[in-house]
Formats: sequence, C-alpha cells, structure tokens
Amino acid sequence: MTAQPEPGKRLEQLERDLAEANERQTAASQVLEVIGRSAFALEPVFETVLRQAVRLCRADAGLIYVLDGDVYRLAFALGGSQEYRDYMQATPIVRGAGTLVGRVGLERRTVQILDVLADPDYEMHQARDLGGFRTIFGVPMLAGDKVVGVITLWREVVDAFDERTVALVTTFAAQGAIAIQNVQLFLELQRRERELAQSVDELSAMGEISQAVGSTLDLDEVLTTIVTRAVHLSGAEGGSILEFEPETRRFRVRTCFGTSDEMVATLRATAIGLDDTFMGRAAASGEARQAPDLEQEAADAHIDVLRGAGWRSMIAVPLLREDEIIGALIVRRTSPGAFPDRTVELLETLASQSVVAIHNARLFRQLEGKTSELEIAGRHKSEFLASMSHELRTPLNAVIGFSDVLLEQMFGEINERQQEYVRDIRDSGRHLLELINEILDLSKVEAGRMELELTALSLPDLLEHGMAMVRERATRHRIAVTLDVVPQVGIVWADELKLKQVVLNLLTNAVKFTPDGGSVEVTAAIAGDEAEVVVRDTGIGIAEAEQARIFEAFQRGGREARTSTEGTGLGLTLSKRIVELHGGRLWMASRPGAGSTFGFAIPMRRPDEAAAPGLGDDDAGSVGAGRDMDTVLVVEDDPHSAELLAVYLEGAGYRVALAHDGAEGLQMARRLRPRAIVLDILLPRVDGWNLLARLKADPATAACPVVIVSMLDERGKGFALGAAEYLVKPVGREQMLEALARCVPPGAARGTVLVIDDDPVDLKLMQAALEPEGYRVLTAAGGEEGLSLIRSERPAVVLLDLLMPDVDGFAVVERVHADPEIADVPIVVLTAKEMTLADRERLDGRISFLAQKGAFGRAELVDLIAHLAGARGAPAEELL
Amino acid sequence: MSATVLVVEDNPLNRKLVRDVLGHAGFRVLEAEDAEQGIALAVAERPDLILMDVQLPGIDGVEALGHLRADAATAAIPVVALTAFAMKDDRERFLSAGFHGYLEKPISVTALPGQVEALIAGREPPP
Repeated sequence: MTAQPEPGKRLEQLERDLAEANERQTAASQVLEVIGRSAFALEPVFETVLRQAVRLCRADAGLIYVLDGDVYRLAFALGGSQEYRDYMQATPIVRGAGTLVGRVGLERRTVQILDVLADPDYEMHQARDLGGFRTIFGVPMLAGDKVVGVITLWREVVDAFDERTVALVTTFAAQGAIAIQNVQLFLELQRRERELAQSVDELSAMGEISQAVGSTLDLDEVLTTIVTRAVHLSGAEGGSILEFEPETRRFRVRTCFGTSDEMVATLRATAIGLDDTFMGRAAASGEARQAPDLEQEAADAHIDVLRGAGWRSMIAVPLLREDEIIGALIVRRTSPGAFPDRTVELLETLASQSVVAIHNARLFRQLEGKTSELEIAGRHKSEFLASMSHELRTPLNAVIGFSDVLLEQMFGEINERQQEYVRDIRDSGRHLLELINEILDLSKVEAGRMELELTALSLPDLLEHGMAMVRERATRHRIAVTLDVVPQVGIVWADELKLKQVVLNLLTNAVKFTPDGGSVEVTAAIAGDEAEVVVRDTGIGIAEAEQARIFEAFQRGGREARTSTEGTGLGLTLSKRIVELHGGRLWMASRPGAGSTFGFAIPMRRPDEAAAPGLGDDDAGSVGAGRDMDTVLVVEDDPHSAELLAVYLEGAGYRVALAHDGAEGLQMARRLRPRAIVLDILLPRVDGWNLLARLKADPATAACPVVIVSMLDERGKGFALGAAEYLVKPVGREQMLEALARCVPPGAARGTVLVIDDDPVDLKLMQAALEPEGYRVLTAAGGEEGLSLIRSERPAVVLLDLLMPDVDGFAVVERVHADPEIADVPIVVLTAKEMTLADRERLDGRISFLAQKGAFGRAELVDLIAHLAGARGAPAEELL
Repeated sequence: MSATVLVVEDNPLNRKLVRDVLGHAGFRVLEAEDAEQGIALAVAERPDLILMDVQLPGIDGVEALGHLRADAATAAIPVVALTAFAMKDDRERFLSAGFHGYLEKPISVTALPGQVEALIAGREPPP
C-alpha cells in the first residue's frame, strides 16, 4: 500500500496552498493597482513589485533592471548593503553570459543560478562579494520579444527558487513590462510634445523674424531679433552677427546678444580676418562649422576673445548671398559640446533671413540716396521756375508798363499807327506773362504742389460767368453761343478760380477755332455722381492724328488760331490736369471739318465725402435736385443731426444745403442766399454765436432768418444776437417745421422771383426791394439767360424788361407762352418803353401785369408779387 | 502839398516807370536803387509811403523793412512790397512779414496812382 499523506496533513497543505494563492492574488492586484495609480512613474511600481516578490519568494534581496539603449541599468533595489546597491547602481550590465541580467537579456527567458560560486561563466565577483548571495534568479520583463527589463531575486544561501516562485515573479514581470511600456509611451509623448512646442517656438520665431525682415528697414533691429532668437532656440547663451567687409577682408561685429559690453567692445576692436580665423574659414567654406570645445581649437584673434570671456563652444554659420560672403552668425555656449543637426539647420535658416535683411537694408540705403537726389533735383527745378518767373516778370513789368504809359498818352499824343504798334508790344508782353503763369502752374501740378481750395459753388453760375467772358468776342464774329443747363445741375465742390480757368479755356478755344457765323453750344448735365459739361463747336475740327497730342504742352493739334499770338498752348494741358486734380476727367472728340467737342466731368460731391454714406441727397452737392423750392441752409457739423434735419426739411418741400462748420456756413450763406438758416452753436472753426453775429452784421445776409438748433439753452443770448427762433435739441419734425414756418413768410415760402433786365442798376433795385420781403431773387441780364433760368428754376413770378439786346422781352413772352412746361409762370412786364397798341397786342393774354418803370411803387410791386406767387396760373385779366 | 513816395527798386527801368507814372499823377517821387540808399532817404526825407522791391541786391526788402521799423524816425511810414513773385502764398508771406501792403508786378500804370493814394490813406488798395 502506497503511503498516503494523512488526511489532516493534506487539508493543512490545501489550506496553505489556498492562502498562498490568495496572497499572490492580492500581491498581483496590488501591483496592478499601483500601476493604475502611478501610470507614468516607474519607481512606485518597481517598489511594490519587489516588496511583494521578496516577501512571497522568501528572497533576501531583489533588483529591477531596465534597458537603456544597449545596457541594463539598475532601476530599483531592495535589500543588500548600501555599498552593494551603490556598486550595482554604478555598474550597467550588457547582454552576455557573465551576469545574471546579461544572461536573461541574452536568452530572453527566466534564468536561475543555483550557486554563483559553482557557475564557471559567472563573472560579477565584486557584486557577489559585496552582496554575499549564492542563489540568484532572474525573470525577463518582455515587450514583444524584447527584454526591456529584468527582475532578479537572490538568497544568501544555496536554496533554489521553486516553480511557484517562478510563476509569481513572471506575473510581476509582465506587469512591470506594462508599466515600463506605459512610461515609455508617456515619455515619448512628452518628448513629441516638447518637440512640437519647440517647432511652434521656432515657427513663431521665424514668423517674427520674417515680419521684422519684411516690415522694418532698421537693420540693427532685425538682426538683434534674429540673434536673440538664434541663441534662445539653440539653447545657447550668447551670439552675434558679423558683417563682412570685402575691402578689408575682415568681419565687423554688427549686433550681439548675451554678450557683455566689454566683450562687444573687445570684439569690435579685434581684426577678425577671413583668412586667419576659424569663423572666416567657416564663412569661406560656405558651410556651418562647429567648435564643440574652444579649448581644443587652434587659437586665433576671434577665438582668443571668446575664450578670454569664458566661452567654451560655438558654431559659425556663414551669411551668403549668391556665393558672396555677407557675414556670419555666431552662437556660443559657456559649456563644451556640439549642437545637434536640428539646431544647425535652424541656424542656417536664420542666417539666410539675416542675409535678406542685410540685403534689403543695403537696397534701401541706395534707394534713399537716389530719392534724396531726386528730391534735390525737384527742389532745384521748382526754385529755378520760381526765380525764372521772377526774372521774366521784372522786364515784362517795364514792357507792359511803358506801353500803357504811351497808350494812356500821359506824356503827349501818339498817332494811330504808333498806338497800334504799342498795343502790339503790350499784348505780346501780356501773352508772355500768361505763358509764364501757366508754365508755373503746370510745373506746380507736375510737382504735385498745386492745392485745391474746394468750396461749394454753383456750376450754372460759373458757366454763365464763362459765357459772359467770351460773349463779346463771339458776337464780334457772329458766333452764336448758347448755354443749356439741366435743372439738376447745381452745386459742385471745386476750386472756383481753377475751375473758372478750365471753363474759360474751353470756351475761348471753342470761340477761337470756330469760323465767323458758326456756333458754340455749352450743355451741363448730370451723369451718375458727376456733373458733365460739354462744349461743342462748329469749328475746323482736329485731325485724328493730332487728337492724341492735343493735351500735350505746346500742342495746338495743328489748328491755326485766328491770331498767332493768342493762347499759350498750355491751356488744355493745364485744364486737363486741373480737372483730374478734382477727381474728374477731361476729354475731346472731333472730326476735321465737323467741329470739336470738349467735355469734362467732375464729382458733384465734396471729395472727402464721396464715399460717406447716409447723407444721401441731403448734401449740398445735390442741392439742385429740388424745383421751385426754398433753400434752407443747415449749418451742422454732426452728420447724423444734419441728416435728420435734412429729412425733416426736404419732406416739407425745402431744399437743403449743408455746411459742415461755421466758416463754410458763412460762405454758403453769402453765396446761396438761403431762405432761412438752421444753425447749430457748437461748431468747429467759427462757432454758431460768431457766425450768427457775422450773418447779422453783413447786409447781404442780415435779412435771412436764423433758427438756432442747439444742445445749449441760451435763448436770451440767441435772440439778443438776432436769431429768429431758438430750439433746444432734441428737436422733432413738427417743432422744426413750425419754427421755420413762423420765420419764413408764407407768401415767400414758394417765392423765387426772377428779374430779367439788361440794366444792372434796375436788377439791384428789384433785389433790394424784394429780398427783405423774403423772396429769393434771381437775376438775368438777358432774355436767353432768363429763359434758361425760368426752365431750371421755375420762379413763382418773372419780372421782365422789354428792351434788351439779345433776346428781347417780347420774344421771352412768346417763348414762355409756346412752351407748355413753363407757360403758366406769371410774368410781370416792367418797362420804360412807350407802349404802342401793337406792343400791347403782342403781349395780350400772355402776361399777368404790365407796369411802367418808375410809375409803380415798391409797396404795390410787393403786393402784386405776393398775390401772383399765391395764385399761380391765374388768368391775367383777373389781375388787370 | 503833394504826397512823397519813395521807390526802392534795383531795376532802373522799373524804377523809372514807377517814377514817371507817379510823377505824372502828381506825387513827389524819391528813388533809391538799393536798401541802404532807401533807408538813408527814408530817414532824411520821411516820405509818406515807401514802395519796396523785395528782391534787392545786398540787404533785401524784408530786411530793409526791419531796419525801417526799428528806427523811430521811419517806424510809422507805411512800406508796401512791390514784387514779381507770383506764388499764391507770397501775399500772405509778405503781409505777415510786416509790409503794409502788397503790389504785384507787372503793375498797372492806370491803377497805380489810385493804389498808392489808398495805401497812404490807410485803405485797402483797389485792384
């Protein structure tokens, strides 16, 4: 019978096994728990593993080794003397049969050496002596088939570790391997993050540098940025950028970072040659060169300075532009060691940025030199022109002056022939003077020095002025000149003198080049945002080949002027430039024999407001849009308030002109003669009080009622200064319109009166009689002009003289009657003519009233006009 | 007694022109061809008005004006700039330099006597 263990003993054994299994289970789960808790730290994991393993396996000590590159290094030790642990710590182990760890690493399996003293291959005698172990045992920590670590246990006596121990430690090893992998993954992740962060740093540094290179021409600033970044990104402490001077074949320090002032001074004082320094050779080779330990390098002028200041390593990166040496970028450290490839690449990029910066700066310096040369030349030209003008005017003064003295016959008579010659001399002198002025003007335009003084001006008035200037001459040559302005054309923003010059130039040319008996037509219309003026003549025309050159200086397009001394040949050139300065354009079209057309267009809006939204048609620029309405001038600097007021007023049928400050307000009040002025007090330049006082002090504007609309409540002051109404902001629509209605007499709210008379004194008289009554008085010096104003302005009443040079009063009456558009405009004929029966018959039924000049009192006239203005279209009989 | 006008002008023809025109209009005309002469004459003769060319050899018109203003004997005499400069801002420039008025060359021989009369009376000269 086979001996069976006693049942009691078996039970005992089983219980022990169970307890042991429990304990292992607990230990394993503890290890797992630690791994979970300290996911990215190995030490707590190793410590737990070793404690459990040593205890459960009844070992005297345990060690954990982790693979580091090609060697295993001690990661954790438990048990043994301090000396032993220190020794093991200092002794990395390679794969090989001579050691337990080496053997596990080599064989990738569990190895047990029962007695190290009896193992012929075992070589770690010193460890054995220090530790005093006999039986040693090692288990690999495997990741895939790679031994990433080894757990070893040992006993001081020869006593084999059993199977269960092997199994237990194998479990721990698997767990340890997982922990190691986790940590390695984590470290890898961290490393990548660091790399990424570094790349971001580098990129942002590059961005900053590119921006600096691109945006600033301050070379030192750019280079300082570059060298600072270079030092930081390469983990160094100092650096510099040196510029190469080809003449001396030496480098000159341009900028430094992390370098003492003293050393900078020394470097500047040191001759750093291309041929006799490490740095120079690097630059000459075209490639970055490292000196990982300056102590080991051959001494040279540059290196001596560096060593003397305590620098231990450096890299020299050449700055090259198309193989030409520009300089070098130096980065230094106070400790020895080479810079990694990555840093070298980075520095090479920075070096090329430095090259761009230096090159840009050099280009700029050259350009700057050129520009200032040009400026000087330009200044010389202007000075030359100014002094030339002066020098020419001085003798011309005598030429013209003495001619005039003779023509005035101050010192006795001269005969007609002599007078003619003297006149020729004087006219030639004046022509020369005109020429000088235009050359000067043109040179000012060319030099960009002509400035425009923009004001709001009436384009129809300006054209009329031009017409008046050429009319006499046109009449002399039997040339019919007509002006047709559509009603929408009103105010434009322009330099009055210069625009007059343009209009006069076009008109003069048209008349000059039109044969006797021809015609010149001037029209003005709106085209988009522009006012377009076209001058059409029936002249000789211009050949196509000449047309392109007509705007060039001193070209007359092959046209022969009626008299050769006329015109400077600069007028068109200058006109074109002036119109362009206004933001407009000037053009021409012509066919030889079929006349020429010259036109120009200028923006109607104030140039600086052309793009400003909001004001819309409220702006002064389109004042002409309304018809038969009274103009109210709004003087308000705040665009929103102005817009609001304009909406109120236009809604009630007023037309609105807007002035943006007091000075402009005063100017526009004088020119536009508005029916009323709505005035803000807090204004730029001239304030509202000042403006009000000036309006009231000027007879031309004193009668115009002023409604103050202000934040300030100073009614007393307002009324004392002559305001008609005073409203405190915010002002509502009703309030505004009621105030305006109170100060604008109702009869006059519709009242524009047109006076057509060739006698300027009579015109002034009528104006003086009617304006204080609140009428807007327009005047026309002739029938043609009067008709065009009736069409464009639709006056409430027309006061008409009968005897006028061009189109007489009878013709005006007939033409008004024949035009259904304007036939209902009441006409009062005021004449000094003795009326014949035939005369009366010509007017019969076509006029509202006939009065003899001088026989009609002012009060009667005012009453009559008030009546007519209020009863538009009433039959004449009723009134007569 | 007729008013005395001193003309300081280096160009002999222009000087002669002003002299003859003003002389014809009944003014007593004194002539100087440079600033030094002009200042000396102004001190000695106390004219009612000085017409001063601005661009003179040696001491120029602006500087001469300073001398005249600094001397109590001549400080009150109105000095009018007579120039061939044609720039727009010249007028402002000369007036702000302290000239009493500004006449641009070429002068108008018909307007000059009236202008001089107005300037002596302390009025704006007619154009």
